[in-house]
Amino acid sequence: MSLLKSWKFWVSLIILLVWAWVPWFIRNNYQLQVLFRITLFAALGLAWNLVGGYAGQLSLGHVAFFGIGAYGLAIFTQMGVPVWISAILAAIVSTAVAAVIGAIAFRLRGPYFTLATIAFAEVLRLAATNLNVTGGAIGLTMPALFVGRTFWRSFYLAAVALAVISFLANYWASRSRFGYYLMAIREDEDTAGAVGINTARCKLYALLMSAFLTALAGALYGSAFQFIVPDSILTIDISIQIAIITMLGGAGTLLGPIVGAVLLLTASEAFKNQFQESHLLIYGVLIVLVVLFLPEGIVGGLQHRFRKRLKPPKDAKPQPALGGAAQ
Amino acid sequence: MRNKAIAALGILSLFTSIVPVWGQATTKIGVITSLTGSLAAFGEAHKNGYSIALDEINAKGGVLGKKIELDFYDDQSKPDQAVQGVSKLVDQDQVPVLLGSYSSESTKAIVPAVAQRETPLIIPTATADNVMDSKSPWIFRVCAGANDYAKATIGFLKANGAPKKMAIVYENTNFGQSNMKAMTAAAKEAGIELVAVESYEAKSPDYKAVLQRVKQANPDVIYFCSYLLDATTLMRQTREVDLNPKYYTSAGTGFAAAEFPTDKGAGKNADYTFSVSQWLPSAKWAGSKEFDAEYFKRFKTHPQYHAMQAYAALRVAAEAINNAKSLEPAKIRDAIKNISMTSTPFGPIKFENGQNQHPVLITQIQSGQYHVVFPPDAAEAKPIIPAPVWSKR
Amino acid sequence: MVRFLQACADGLLTGALYAVIGMGLALIFGVMRIVNFAHGAFLMVGMYATYVLFDYFKLNPYIGFLPAGIALFIFGYLVYMALIRPIRDRSHFMQILMTMGIGLILTDAAQLIFKADYRQTNIDLINRSVHLGPFGANAAEVLSFAIAIAFVVGLRSFVVRSRTGQALRAISQNAEIAPLMGINLVRIQGISFALGTALAGIAGGLLLPRLYLFPGVGEDYTTKAFVMVVLGGMGSIEGAAFGGLVLGLSESLTSLYLGNQWALIIDFVLFLLVLSFKPAGIFGRQRA
Repeated sequence: MSLLKSWKFWVSLIILLVWAWVPWFIRNNYQLQVLFRITLFAALGLAWNLVGGYAGQLSLGHVAFFGIGAYGLAIFTQMGVPVWISAILAAIVSTAVAAVIGAIAFRLRGPYFTLATIAFAEVLRLAATNLNVTGGAIGLTMPALFVGRTFWRSFYLAAVALAVISFLANYWASRSRFGYYLMAIREDEDTAGAVGINTARCKLYALLMSAFLTALAGALYGSAFQFIVPDSILTIDISIQIAIITMLGGAGTLLGPIVGAVLLLTASEAFKNQFQESHLLIYGVLIVLVVLFLPEGIVGGLQHRFRKRLKPPKDAKPQPALGGAAQ
Repeated sequence: MRNKAIAALGILSLFTSIVPVWGQATTKIGVITSLTGSLAAFGEAHKNGYSIALDEINAKGGVLGKKIELDFYDDQSKPDQAVQGVSKLVDQDQVPVLLGSYSSESTKAIVPAVAQRETPLIIPTATADNVMDSKSPWIFRVCAGANDYAKATIGFLKANGAPKKMAIVYENTNFGQSNMKAMTAAAKEAGIELVAVESYEAKSPDYKAVLQRVKQANPDVIYFCSYLLDATTLMRQTREVDLNPKYYTSAGTGFAAAEFPTDKGAGKNADYTFSVSQWLPSAKWAGSKEFDAEYFKRFKTHPQYHAMQAYAALRVAAEAINNAKSLEPAKIRDAIKNISMTSTPFGPIKFENGQNQHPVLITQIQSGQYHVVFPPDAAEAKPIIPAPVWSKR
Repeated sequence: MVRFLQACADGLLTGALYAVIGMGLALIFGVMRIVNFAHGAFLMVGMYATYVLFDYFKLNPYIGFLPAGIALFIFGYLVYMALIRPIRDRSHFMQILMTMGIGLILTDAAQLIFKADYRQTNIDLINRSVHLGPFGANAAEVLSFAIAIAFVVGLRSFVVRSRTGQALRAISQNAEIAPLMGINLVRIQGISFALGTALAGIAGGLLLPRLYLFPGVGEDYTTKAFVMVVLGGMGSIEGAAFGGLVLGLSESLTSLYLGNQWALIIDFVLFLLVLSFKPAGIFGRQRA
């Protein structure tokens, strides 16, 4: 592997180590908690990026996977399964649900797909509100994945680990043949199909990966905040926030979701502490300004302006001969 | 990439350092409530109630010779944000005592975080009883809970004709479900048969189908657990489907709103409805009327009990700090535990296992006015039973 | 049987209001292919406009909805010119993001201006009933039904008959060719966005006496509008009106026979069924 010789690899590693080292020089739990949220949403954005960024399928139903992760963790634990295994089981269930959602929703294109994903997530929210096993609207107390004095540090590190895994998945998607297929689908689904890419299967695989990671994030988030209700863990607001983070940062770029999460969540927390009731107004204005002036997202816009390295070259559309591998 | 990471940390430290550590000039008290989101109206009532208490306390010299300053955190009507608020207020701003949050779900969510940080929490308004499940010595609740609502309503019914068949109509939220469960248990214990238990989706313009189902079950009593102004639509449509129980009872909030019996609310349709209430401007406790007048002067509207509970919570916090003569959380906690305020506009305040022993009143709207009709020692009017059928009104 | 028919009637009375909301969304989607996430916020603005007229000028909401609708038309046109037009060639992503941003701004602005208080109007008409044999209905609901149906019919004939309407349909069928035929794309898109906004506002005004008002009131209606528009076939104005009526009916009947907690679930299940089996809408033509 030439990986060890690449300066980018070493820079990334150093940044990662610094990122993971943060808890030891931040003694303040609040800052750590905000960092946890930022890191977790960066992971969520990266997971979403596989579907929304590389494959260009705008899902606004990712909260379904997020919620299944949290509720799955709670419910499996109640059934006597050890917590960490519960979290993994929840992620597997979420992946299975994603297979069902994908089978139906991926037959639809553009805005139709988006609306279908919203509908699935809403059905789950309503089900969780009405079922006994989920505690209804009254909610569930979450089992703790970590306990003790280092509670937030542990959650933070787990979020960093998840972000790294999601980042690697994105890295792979941006370099591999599979990733090129996804991007081909994004650019022109019909042409991609015509040259022999099994578009349905590619999109589905991307969604499955994404759902698995999103569910793990949901389990972490639910456990960190210790108590969940459908209106907090299955609300469309979370789907929207994940999408906004990625799109603001730059959908389909490696760093976009990370930049988006850092900027947006920092801004929203700072606005909240400064402006009280009017913080959402400022947040909205920020979104509008970015859409108007940075249409490809922050990272996307910068890349576009200065270099085009991280994007596949235009001629990277797969050759018919290569298409066979995806089938 | 490195620059971005540094920039990110830079921004982060910037916003965390925006809040300066005055500490010296004032005493900060942390408040978590819902300033935005679906419950913002109630968060506003909180803020108003707190501000009146704040000015009152500061006019009398504050606590320990310093003025109080309120440190607000907006939970955006979301439980996870409320948990973050605990961290902001306790870990960063180091407030010695917390008040909040507004809703039961946000409050339930912050209880473990507060207990873990060993900081006293005074809960002003959360009625779901699971907020007190933890039995943590750091948690105190000023208001009465859903079980108290159900028990008071059942007690009232038993003393006034002892009806046999009840229907519960509840909104499908935390508040609605908590109160439905509390009433289901209380009714069972009292031997009252539940002939219909119907949920509804709040904020909808049409509940006639739900009420038709209730009508078919033919109850003597309906217990409405309705949080918002759906109470207006419910009563109007009860009339339209000609549903005629002998008693309309309710778990407060929407049915206890100041506008509900007025022309801006349900108007005449509100007459004869019973509601549990924690406080009324006409309550007999000294200072109630003055609070109402002051509130109206400032905010051009009459207060609901949520504002009063927020007011009372801050009064408790200030009294406890003064009694403790210290800003140490543990000493404040002990002071709250031993507090005995004999006369506040919210009645006497004294905690037992963290729960203020607050009496629940039953009110009835008679000719457009709320009147306390139960318990007898607080009653100012006799209940009118049964409610006349719609065709005779 | 009486109960069944009564529930149908109640469902249609509400459904007509839904129809107006749905048509507004369909108009915007049809002409611009923008899924408008600010639709519920526009409805909320319409409610506040009607409320202000009621509160300050004692104007009955059933009259006040008209000036409110006109105000929303102008407002919608300005929003289009300032914020939507610059991004009309961008991806769905960015357009959706933009409408979400607009929705957030409007909701929070409403809270800053009007506070978060719940407000309601209680007009005389809302407490009257009309009776027909064993059936009864709220007089205000009947009136708002009539107004809503008038708008449905009026809008349809506008789209079919008028020159602007024809241009509008031409664009919704093929946005690339229409300009070649001498249609001013920007003007038509501006008009349809404004009209869509106005319809949301009008529906809000008509809804006001039956509901109550707070800054977040529109949120649920955004998702509901999506459901209607999909039921009727996205972009089809008649279809959306039909979708609104179906939604009203289904909610009323589900509440009566299964319980209200099922009503929203059934909404979305219906929505998913239509999307997966007949994406062109219940009786729409297949569209590419």
